[in-house]
Amino acid sequence: MAITFLFCLFLGRFFYIQAIWEDDLNLRAVDQWTREIPVVAGRGKVVDRNGEVLADNRTAYSIYARANAVSDAEKSAALLAEALGVPYENIYEKLTEKGRSEVTVARRTAKEVVLSIEAHDLGGIYFAQDDARYYPHGALASQVIGFTSYDGSGTTGIERGYDSYLAGKNGEVLSETDLVGVDLEGAVAAYVPATDGLNVRLTVDYRVQALAEETMARVLASSGAKAARAIVLDPSDFSVLAMVNLPSYDLNDIPRDDIASLNALSRNSLVSDIYEPGSTFKIVTAAANIEEGLRGNSAALPLNYVFSSSRTRTVDGSAIRCWSDHKNGKHANQTLAEALNNSCNPCFVDIALALGKDTFYDYLKAFRFGQATGIDFSGESIGMLLPESTVKNGDLARIGFGQTVAVTPLQLACAAAAAVNGGYYYAPRLVREIYSADGITRFQIKPKLLGRTVSEQTSSILSSMLEGVVRDGSGKKAYLEGYRVAGKTGTAQKYEDGHIAQGKYISSFVGYFPANAPKYLALVIVDEPQGSYYGSTVAAPCAAEIFQGIIDIMKIERAEA
Amino acid sequence: MKRPNNPLRSKERAGKGDLLFLAAVILLAAYGVVCVYSASCYNAEVQYGDALYFFKKQLIGFLLGLAAMVGISFVSYEKFRRAGLSALLVSLVLLGLVFIPGVGRSNYGATRWIGVGPVTIQPSELAKYAFVLFTAGYFAKNPARMRRFSGILPVLGAGLSICVLIMLEPNMSVTMCVGALMIGMIFLGGASWKSLAAICIPVLFAVPALILAEPYRLQRLSAFMDPWASPREEGYQLIQSLYALGNGKLFGVGLFHSRQKYRFLPFSESDFILSVIGEETGFFGVLLLFLVIGFVVWRGFRIANRCENFYGYMLVCGIMLAFAVQSALNALVVSGCIPPTGLPLPLISAGNTSLIVTMAGMGIVYGVSRHNGQAKIHRIYK
Repeated sequence: MAITFLFCLFLGRFFYIQAIWEDDLNLRAVDQWTREIPVVAGRGKVVDRNGEVLADNRTAYSIYARANAVSDAEKSAALLAEALGVPYENIYEKLTEKGRSEVTVARRTAKEVVLSIEAHDLGGIYFAQDDARYYPHGALASQVIGFTSYDGSGTTGIERGYDSYLAGKNGEVLSETDLVGVDLEGAVAAYVPATDGLNVRLTVDYRVQALAEETMARVLASSGAKAARAIVLDPSDFSVLAMVNLPSYDLNDIPRDDIASLNALSRNSLVSDIYEPGSTFKIVTAAANIEEGLRGNSAALPLNYVFSSSRTRTVDGSAIRCWSDHKNGKHANQTLAEALNNSCNPCFVDIALALGKDTFYDYLKAFRFGQATGIDFSGESIGMLLPESTVKNGDLARIGFGQTVAVTPLQLACAAAAAVNGGYYYAPRLVREIYSADGITRFQIKPKLLGRTVSEQTSSILSSMLEGVVRDGSGKKAYLEGYRVAGKTGTAQKYEDGHIAQGKYISSFVGYFPANAPKYLALVIVDEPQGSYYGSTVAAPCAAEIFQGIIDIMKIERAEA
Repeated sequence: MKRPNNPLRSKERAGKGDLLFLAAVILLAAYGVVCVYSASCYNAEVQYGDALYFFKKQLIGFLLGLAAMVGISFVSYEKFRRAGLSALLVSLVLLGLVFIPGVGRSNYGATRWIGVGPVTIQPSELAKYAFVLFTAGYFAKNPARMRRFSGILPVLGAGLSICVLIMLEPNMSVTMCVGALMIGMIFLGGASWKSLAAICIPVLFAVPALILAEPYRLQRLSAFMDPWASPREEGYQLIQSLYALGNGKLFGVGLFHSRQKYRFLPFSESDFILSVIGEETGFFGVLLLFLVIGFVVWRGFRIANRCENFYGYMLVCGIMLAFAVQSALNALVVSGCIPPTGLPLPLISAGNTSLIVTMAGMGIVYGVSRHNGQAKIHRIYK
């Protein structure tokens, strides 16, 4: 009786295990029956807007060893050591490292080397494709493109931001093995193919990028500056044509050993770092005043309003002076257009104070200061804008001419573009589309309108004033005959630890052409030039060079005079 | 020479006996040889360079066992009656020899074997049957003594001394097996309920105490509760057994196609051969196997019941009990109902001592069945 009961008990248990629990058990068991060798998915390319390849792959292979399946460790190690140029001991140690399933012997090995090893048909040695990332243009746009880590996943830049598209999905070769990893005889390896990554097409134009880099490299060398940066974008839809951060580094020879320097060099400062813009910010102040005037706000200063010629304004008891001494009739009896030409600070103090905090801050918000521009690039800074509630008149007056406010270069370029393109603020874009190897578009990133800044009329009035700045004012060195270049210079003193750093300046110029229908906008920033430091003398000529280069590349005709 | 009470005098007068029983036993043992080959071929190839290593050993055991079984079935079982005490003493001595350095052989942390040259034998396998021989003989001599507790004491003494020696090896599962055998035989011998209770209740307390005495038993016990808590140590064996059974599903992956035998499942050819059988033949294969085992057990007890001789009855019962209890315990271990212990599946698992001794025991049972038939015929003529 007892025995019959026992028999029924365990037979029931067998039934439970084999008929009910089996799926769950099998799921776990399959894992131990097979060993995987990865098949690395081909990483997608990064190309410029015209298809020029900026990030590519070179076919290479990884070599793995499964110590338990290696039949003749000495012979295999000797062969591998010779083929790979690695010390014999290192390889031998890996081939005899029992207790681990797969050991990587070498990575990113060239195809010819792998073929020569494969010919010897060594037991326990396996190969898997493992492409190496390659950047055909080396240092070009390095902070934008970014790089991948040793395992091939994106670490910075577009490589990181679009990693999920670029990476693809790894496949694997599954082989049935015994407990310690020896392949079973007659077992067929299952092949799970890899899905290659998708390609990313940037808005960047390789030609413009190269041209801007050359120009900025020249000014970096000639001015002895600490850094030189430039953004070129299309004001009609805010697609970025070039982003230059110098000094830079070669993406094919990344200084991985020096983390601090790599972090500094690989940083896209145009997006991530802030600076005090200075006079280029007056574009925003002027735009606000013109728009308010057109709307009939009596507080706004009329276009024919003549500013006081005094060099000094006293706000809340503290004196704000113009950079110019106002002697010998300089900066006398200016209208708004002339104030822009001369970049006269007191005039913009007057405007900011006349509009008042509420109104002026509405425009600062419309121009997205203190907010992200929404670019498709990680690590964007929002800049520093005093909260409206804490702003005093002294602060408001200084914000009017670009002090007491910090912005990213990208924010400033976008604000300028949104002031002169008819008043449309789009989200800046670095990527146009994601497409597969067969050329089919998978995702398209279209221009996205974020909001209006000013009316078309204001925009057009402002633009003709800025054209005057280049024709007659401080921006003369950006003038190109017949191309209607417009713009605004900026020279800002640098702050260090809360104090003005003597002799340290940021020279900048934001310009665009043609003034009536802006197509190319460039912001040039030269950080700490030695000697001459005015935006008009250091930065404006660079913009002219870049514009001339664009004209040559795009074969743009002169406008009818 | 005339002994009217005993009709069994010469083999000439013995009948054909229970041929179905005999056939089922041979079938099981032969099936065991095939299963041992399937379960061990990969391991044997890797360890000994000969895929047939365990198969050959098992085949020799099968042939020797067959010879022993047939040979012993021709011996009148009455002759074992007097051998009981000496068999018990010999087996106790053998069990003791295990502990003499140089003679005892250790494996997997336990000293369970004695070695004579290339041959190793496992005395605990012999001790079970020695105990059966002794107990059957002792009870049959004077069945009345069973009713008094004091009359049972020699049997208890013999059983416990075997248990203690086996436990010291250590080998808990065989100890349990002998213990269960002892209680079963005392019960079948007709002991009073009081005596049985007096034996069983201390045993119930002894088991937890013994488990707590050895740390490794506690580890195994906790591993059995949740094998995945220590998948690489204590839980490993059970997990691998479950994987094998799970892979087998209802109908199995087919003979020789076990995946777990590729060194995943330790002791796949011996204590855990049932896992491989479960994997290769599925639930229905296991069911069929235990139907045959059950058939053997049923026929065995039927033979015992038909035996008019109390000694023969006790002898057959003891042998069949040992076989049935051990089969059941092995199945319980393999399916994870009780903590893993080292206990072969009789007739099937690799291990020559066990195979030969079990087959010899079955030979005794078959011998009894031959004389049963004779007894009937004799009775009719009387």
